[in-house]
Amino acid sequence: MDKEILQVKDLVKYFPVRKFGKKQYVKAVDGLNFSIRDGEIFGVLGESGCGKTTLGRVINRLEHEQSGTIEFMGETISGKDYKRDRNFRRKMQMIFQNPYDSFDPRVIIYKSMDLPMKINGIERDGKKRLERIIETMNHAKLTPAESLLTRYPHELSGGQLQRISIIRSMLLNPKFIVADECVSMLDVSVRAGVLNLLLTIQEELKSSMLFITHDISVATYISQRIMVLYAGKIMEIGSSEDILKNPLHPYSKALVSYSPTISKEEKMRYTITGEVVTPINPPPGCRFASRCPMARRECTEREPELRYVGKDRLVACHFV
Amino acid sequence: MVVENQISLSRRENKLLKYARSYFSSGKGIIGFSLLLLFIFMAFFAPVITPYTPDEMTDDVLKPPSAEHLFGTDHLGRDIYSRVVFGTRISLSVGFVAAGLSAIIGVLIGSFSGFYGQITDDVVSKIVDTFLMIPSFFLILIIVSIFGSNILYIMFVIGLTTWPGNARLMRAQALSIRERTFIMVARSTGESRIRILFGHVIPNGIFPVIANSALQMGGAILTEASLSFLGLGDPNLTSWGKLIFQGRPYMTFAPWMVIIPGIFVVLAVLAFSFIGDGLQFTFNPKNRKGE
Amino acid sequence: MPLLRMENVNINYRLKNRLVRAVRDFTLDINEGDILGVIGESGSGKSTLAHGLMRILPGNGYMEASTITFNGRDILNMSDNEFRQLRWVEMSIVFQKAMSALSPVHKIFDQMYDAILAHEPETRKEDAIKKLEGLLSVVNLPRKTLNMYPHELSGGMMQRVMISLGLIFNPKLVILDEVTTALDVITQGQLLDEIKRLVKEFGLTVMMITHDIGVVNEVCTKIAIVYAGELLEYGDVKDVIFRPLNPYTRALVESHPDLNPHGGLRGIPGTLPDLSNPPEGCIFYDRCTYRLDRCREEKPELRDLNDRKVKCFRAGELNG
Repeated sequence: MDKEILQVKDLVKYFPVRKFGKKQYVKAVDGLNFSIRDGEIFGVLGESGCGKTTLGRVINRLEHEQSGTIEFMGETISGKDYKRDRNFRRKMQMIFQNPYDSFDPRVIIYKSMDLPMKINGIERDGKKRLERIIETMNHAKLTPAESLLTRYPHELSGGQLQRISIIRSMLLNPKFIVADECVSMLDVSVRAGVLNLLLTIQEELKSSMLFITHDISVATYISQRIMVLYAGKIMEIGSSEDILKNPLHPYSKALVSYSPTISKEEKMRYTITGEVVTPINPPPGCRFASRCPMARRECTEREPELRYVGKDRLVACHFV
Repeated sequence: MVVENQISLSRRENKLLKYARSYFSSGKGIIGFSLLLLFIFMAFFAPVITPYTPDEMTDDVLKPPSAEHLFGTDHLGRDIYSRVVFGTRISLSVGFVAAGLSAIIGVLIGSFSGFYGQITDDVVSKIVDTFLMIPSFFLILIIVSIFGSNILYIMFVIGLTTWPGNARLMRAQALSIRERTFIMVARSTGESRIRILFGHVIPNGIFPVIANSALQMGGAILTEASLSFLGLGDPNLTSWGKLIFQGRPYMTFAPWMVIIPGIFVVLAVLAFSFIGDGLQFTFNPKNRKGE
Repeated sequence: MPLLRMENVNINYRLKNRLVRAVRDFTLDINEGDILGVIGESGSGKSTLAHGLMRILPGNGYMEASTITFNGRDILNMSDNEFRQLRWVEMSIVFQKAMSALSPVHKIFDQMYDAILAHEPETRKEDAIKKLEGLLSVVNLPRKTLNMYPHELSGGMMQRVMISLGLIFNPKLVILDEVTTALDVITQGQLLDEIKRLVKEFGLTVMMITHDIGVVNEVCTKIAIVYAGELLEYGDVKDVIFRPLNPYTRALVESHPDLNPHGGLRGIPGTLPDLSNPPEGCIFYDRCTYRLDRCREEKPELRDLNDRKVKCFRAGELNG
């Protein structure tokens, strides 16, 4: 089943920033090219400022790109078309980072879950909608469903709220889900419930997913393939196993080496210096050059292309 | 389904109870509310609790407060107590209508401006700022002098000149609420912008406006009293301000004609001010137990 | 003799109509040279413990204990004045979210100089500058940092400033309260490397509070597992993580995606008990998969098992 459900070409999203009169731009997403297969969980891995959240919001049409195309299920969804955006909502849903703020605090959970279905014309009969809600919650082991439904958001825990968020999306039967750091605010012991629920959705609804995170352990657990971003550019794309066990790009190597893990042996540090850069007026060449231990003159002159170095393996580096 | 409805209803009542309990734990809130209740009672039962009709002229002219005339009589022998009680109706109406109008306009304009942003916001903000620069009382004075002093005009004019305060409050709320995650969720699940505005933004942001409206009710009553005192009030109706206006020439030897209606004005403004404080107190989540 | 010894520490918070028992009967020794990782999830009380030790609990919190000694001295019954002399000079604490700890309108130098003056009021400016420059270079920050304002520094730099502030008087014990939690992966890793180096160079003893067991695995020598205000297990890091004796420890370790194949993550279902009304028996009873009836009725004691301390009736029965 290698059909592609999402194709992104040369996607660019800038944010204007005013610094003492001169208008500058943060190049949050600066020319991304990748595609996601039908039924796949595609991880987007990076630190703050790499553009992963912006990417998620542009794909979900919460923001509009400056240029580039996005093809979803064969249709072009890029460009400003509010009417088309509304029609597409049913097929692509988004889970956000903060479960505590994902619900209108003045409304009981039942109403928050019922409204999206009502708006999207799923099941006109209110009673049948309620039945579906309860059924889905029970299936996801969020019980007792009736009791949870009459609660206000502040009465529930983060883990419960996030799982309810996921179910709310599921009820719309989406073909694609964008999950933006959806376990980052949860305790470790609670994450399993959320992650496994997402895996269930993938299996049962055959949905595809864009899973955004900064945590490599979570990314490799849930994704089939991972894309590593840095300062708005793709550094590497590969299978989870490849990225974790055999990273090729220096930045990927650094990420893997600096991520704290539970292992008996001591890890060798792939040392890099400096801090994450915000891509405002980036210098020519590779975005990572200023911190890369392998950097040479070429790297500050020519930007490396993202090219194939194996089956399903892409790297943007002059020396791989 | 019926059971579920009952449960959800009781939960909602619980929430109201929580707010009520918090409100009544503030001393000012209790005082303000009690005074308001008293005024409403007076307005509603006016004919029942007054021994005389407000226009009934007796031979007891300019008599000080006594057993027969609780607040004394005026220059035409009319019972001031009865006049004051009936005056409550005017004053309360002005308060509610003017403040209500101000709130509705302010919420609509402020929320649109804050939520949609950009050009709409820029334009509206400039208008609001301009309004806020003009001393509203003088504006009202001018308009009423030009267009007449029918009580309805007065109520509308007060409402139409005091909405910017509410608009500002609502706009600030809208600006912050629109960045919240559940708004993004609403967009992401396909809710239209209008629906989000009325279904999520306004309900979540309206509380400061409600608290401010309480204060505006007091303000409206004061404004109407001031207009009447200056002789610009509705000539056909007797409000507290009108009573003070009528008592002015007799102030030195029949001060009760001026003092007593004046006290009522003060009490009304105080009552609403306290209610506003009580609402502000309730607004702070720290003061609501168990949340 | 341990550097810090605490026995039966209890910390309570007075709320409107109830008493929250945030830390209960906490007994622990920290020996000189230890890098102790205190691991717990939200609501575990780990930060509360640190705040109690440093006497910075909020107004409605108070601490009681049988014994708390530091370097042989009784610090439990010490007067506030005496303790104030000890605090920062022999025992210091560094917080997370450094940004909010520093005043935004004062330069870094001014704030650090203030801290010095608070303990050594006769320090001359020139001497302070020299000392601070030295300190900053220790944490790899340039001298010009002293002249900058907090908002001009990145998260990583800020945390380094805070750490150097904590080291001004060469304390014996440094408490690090979630100092890397808000940082990016690589910045966090760099800071942890820095901390390891500082420990060696200055002979520091560290109490590192975190929720990330990977961090503890890579940096710490000893580990203490805290759940809902109680110490459940303590011992050598590698020992405890790879041969846990307490069911919560085991469940916590197994909640980490690193040790789980795709889809096999379990997590810990359930929620924390109500700390204003803690249960009679074992605090973890509700969520424990190894529980016995006895666990509900009786409270297990903290037992000494070789170099380990465990609080569980079944410690040693779980196959390692």
